[in-house]
Amino acid sequence: MNITHYDACPECDLLLNPNTASVGEKAHCPRCGLLLSRPSKRSVERTFALSIAGFILFFPANLLPMVGITMMGNANTGVLYSGVVALFNNGMIAVAAVVFLASILFPLVHIILSLLISGHLYFNSPNRYLAHWMRWMHHLDEWVMLEVYMLSIIVACVKLMSLAKLEFGWGLYAFIALIVITTLLTGNLDNDLFWQRIHQLSNRNNNAS
Amino acid sequence: MQAKANALSQGFIRCHDCGYLVKTVNQPSSCPRCDSPLHARHPHSLQRTTALLLSSFLLYIPANIFPIMIVNQFGVGEPNTIAGGIVELIDSGMIPIGLLVLVASILVPSSKLIGISLLLLCAHFRWQVNARRWTTMYRVIAFVGRWSMLDIFMISILVDLVNFNGVQIIAGPAATAFAAVVILTMFAAENFDPRLLWDNQQNL
Repeated sequence: MNITHYDACPECDLLLNPNTASVGEKAHCPRCGLLLSRPSKRSVERTFALSIAGFILFFPANLLPMVGITMMGNANTGVLYSGVVALFNNGMIAVAAVVFLASILFPLVHIILSLLISGHLYFNSPNRYLAHWMRWMHHLDEWVMLEVYMLSIIVACVKLMSLAKLEFGWGLYAFIALIVITTLLTGNLDNDLFWQRIHQLSNRNNNAS
Repeated sequence: MQAKANALSQGFIRCHDCGYLVKTVNQPSSCPRCDSPLHARHPHSLQRTTALLLSSFLLYIPANIFPIMIVNQFGVGEPNTIAGGIVELIDSGMIPIGLLVLVASILVPSSKLIGISLLLLCAHFRWQVNARRWTTMYRVIAFVGRWSMLDIFMISILVDLVNFNGVQIIAGPAATAFAAVVILTMFAAENFDPRLLWDNQQNL
């Protein structure tokens, strides 16, 4: 039932023929110009590999000191979470929560979800939560703000440069690597393909049981 | 297949979460592939977007009037508003960074507020416009929204790093208001359904 031979543009609702873009090509909506799909080579394998790398990098990026500052003989170091703690101690609880979610919790959950999904697809093992995970990841996409955080580190450092002596720690390098990995991850994750594979897996599971 | 047909008018609903195209004949309430609730268009798109937008307009006022951070130097506090921080950056010769902060914390939020208002007016009054251009505007608004968090993250870094006996930076009340503006406008953009712009066009 329900198998349709058409597709629709998510932003202008134009009825389309199913997209047949192959690897390296881009499919745009002819009416509104939206990028419909950009299939990537070995999407599941790459996503799985990148998720593992991202998950590992998450820990040094969060635990190692990022920036050290020396000002008038006093020294201080900043870690990713210490900004949240400082805001919390300032009484800015709402802002601290937002920073915590966008720079720590959501990125972590996003990487764990993509690790779980691509792992299950890679090993062809069905799981009844796959569709849920995929939906959550889709909703989280916009709220993972690592690259915005990186830009704020740059701006903050430029502001402080003339006033204090700054030192960059391994946490910052791990953080930069994490941003590269998550960017590659979003570029390589082929949504259509993932949904098709999830659908196939759950169908096979239903038929078997 | 007709050349330029809306999927909805041809009896299809596209699942908002997984992109699966479902026939409306059986009036399914959830997507057969991913089980998320099916809606032809975002439910109450215009009402929700308007509500979120009005709240952000209101919060935008305290966000710009009150200090976003306070620099305490030897007991003397110097409050900094968003605009004041930018002026200070440009005055001290850091023009590129000053412009970057200007774009991220003043130009982006204000043009977002105006842009979403225009989109709402356009969808509500069924203006006959170049829908492709308006959809592009929507896309730009949805894309740039998160970059306004720049200021908030920067404050969290500065508050953390500059915490010495003599000199301290503390976050001001505008930080909460500004973070709320950014988040509410992101939700507003998410709730706006650009397909409404296309539904209203009589001659495509």
